[in-house]
Amino acid sequence: MIVPLAHVLILAAILFGLGLVCTLVWRSNVIMLLIGIEIMLNAAMLVFVGGSNHWGMADGQVFALIIMAMTSAEVSLALALVVYLHRRKNTVDVDEFRELQD
Amino acid sequence: MTTADLWIALPLILLAVGALLTLLIGAVTRDDTAATAIGVAVTLGAACWLLQTPPLPVAPSLGLSAAGLPRLFSCFFLLLAAGVLCLSSGYNRARGIGGEEYPATVLFATFGMLALASATTLLTLFLGLEAMSFGFYILVAVDLKRATSGETGLKYLLPGALSTAFLAFGIALIYCVSGTLAIHEAVQLTLTSGRPDPIALAGWGCLLAGIAFKLSLAPAHLWTPDVYQGAPAPVVAFLSGGSKGAAILLLLLLLPHAVDASHLRIPLWGVALLSMLVGNLAALLQNRVRRLLAYSSIAQMGYVAVALVSGKGGGYQAAAFYALAYGVISLAAFGAIAVLERQGCGETLDDYRGLGQSKPFASGVLTLALFSLAGIPPTVGFTGKFLIFTSAIRSGEIALAVIGVLLAAISVYYYLKVVITLYSKHTGTADASHPTYPEYSVLILASTAMVLLGLWPDALISLLSHLLP
Repeated sequence: MIVPLAHVLILAAILFGLGLVCTLVWRSNVIMLLIGIEIMLNAAMLVFVGGSNHWGMADGQVFALIIMAMTSAEVSLALALVVYLHRRKNTVDVDEFRELQD
Repeated sequence: MTTADLWIALPLILLAVGALLTLLIGAVTRDDTAATAIGVAVTLGAACWLLQTPPLPVAPSLGLSAAGLPRLFSCFFLLLAAGVLCLSSGYNRARGIGGEEYPATVLFATFGMLALASATTLLTLFLGLEAMSFGFYILVAVDLKRATSGETGLKYLLPGALSTAFLAFGIALIYCVSGTLAIHEAVQLTLTSGRPDPIALAGWGCLLAGIAFKLSLAPAHLWTPDVYQGAPAPVVAFLSGGSKGAAILLLLLLLPHAVDASHLRIPLWGVALLSMLVGNLAALLQNRVRRLLAYSSIAQMGYVAVALVSGKGGGYQAAAFYALAYGVISLAAFGAIAVLERQGCGETLDDYRGLGQSKPFASGVLTLALFSLAGIPPTVGFTGKFLIFTSAIRSGEIALAVIGVLLAAISVYYYLKVVITLYSKHTGTADASHPTYPEYSVLILASTAMVLLGLWPDALISLLSHLLP
């Protein structure tokens, strides 16, 4: 069964929007913010795979695989920071970190 | 892999090997002088290698470009990294930032910048940008003993990751429309003359949003003042000069291939205007020097966006010139701040009072850098702004040019406020601490470059107009 490219793009746009809303609204927990960003990146991967299927080329799928690798590196960095912050202040609420401001 | 491949990839290999070597050195000795020395040697060696003419313009099996513009910017990134490493060694010792991971991370970030510069496909471009950003995520939070360090890291990492998602989605949409990841074809197919594909335009919008984060263009600028305030000063010099230079280079690798770039005029016009307004007006109210320079950097990136709007009228050359100029100015400004802070200077404007007498060298360099940012001749800042606003007028962006010149005139006030504070009377005691020799040499070289490029910019301008059609 072949899914039309337009459907893939609509699904990806919805996913991207959901991820964006998650990062903008759910500020009380860094982990939820990171999950929102992951969902946005997954939407990008979906577009790559859909585009690669549409054009019959493999390079889009390679890009999607590399985004996966990159994301795992990014998450490991972010979680290391979360552990550090939690040890320091005993919270993962983004709004609690407000020492640097005007 | 052929010899030409090896020739073109050698700077990248050198940086990777150098970074691993610095990490290994840490197992042998805890003194980070050796690691810094390896870092400086590797970056300078790679920069010298890039001065030669390459055997081929593009590496045949790796797809890395060795054209003029990538090599020029690679050299610039390498020299900047060498300068930052020289400045860091004294600063880190004073702040208690130890270990070999600092120089290794600087080298990894430089690796990312070089990969970005020599990219011929969107994949390498994206990976280079990400490799660079990962380095900076670590570097801004490297000073773990300070209370605000973790917050700085968080405030850089979260917007950075968000911008990555935008960038990836934008590239994905562009790929969907064009069916290729090669930069040249992908840009040509998506920014055609006539009515472009709406999906392609959405892709370009997402891509510009992602880059706006990296360039700290308003309205994606909110992380900038906090990161500039919280990160170690040499890291801020590298971030401000290197990562913004790389983001400008990314746009310069993409936009000149467009058949008709006027579809991007409205968003670029908007962010240019907003960045100049927000940056300059917020800087007027600041009394902390680092935050003031952060807002000033938002305004400076607004000027670069003006140059990008007026691309075909010589704007791309002006943007490239300004990217290089701003890198040198950042190195000088934050290098001088690093020297002053190492000697115990605080962060508010009052702490800088009278430093012109007690610490004449670092204050002098900071003054020169501020004159440059304000665009006072004969510094490089004046030449850069002159190029940007003439290119804007030449391509008919009169309104943007007039607003830009007026805001640049207003900006002179807050730059001179810092200079006047530096040279006003202060009853404090003069102490006898001096900058170290590496600090002297980096700051003198950066100051010389600022003045020389201001007085004789012709060579660089003609080189850039040769490289950027």
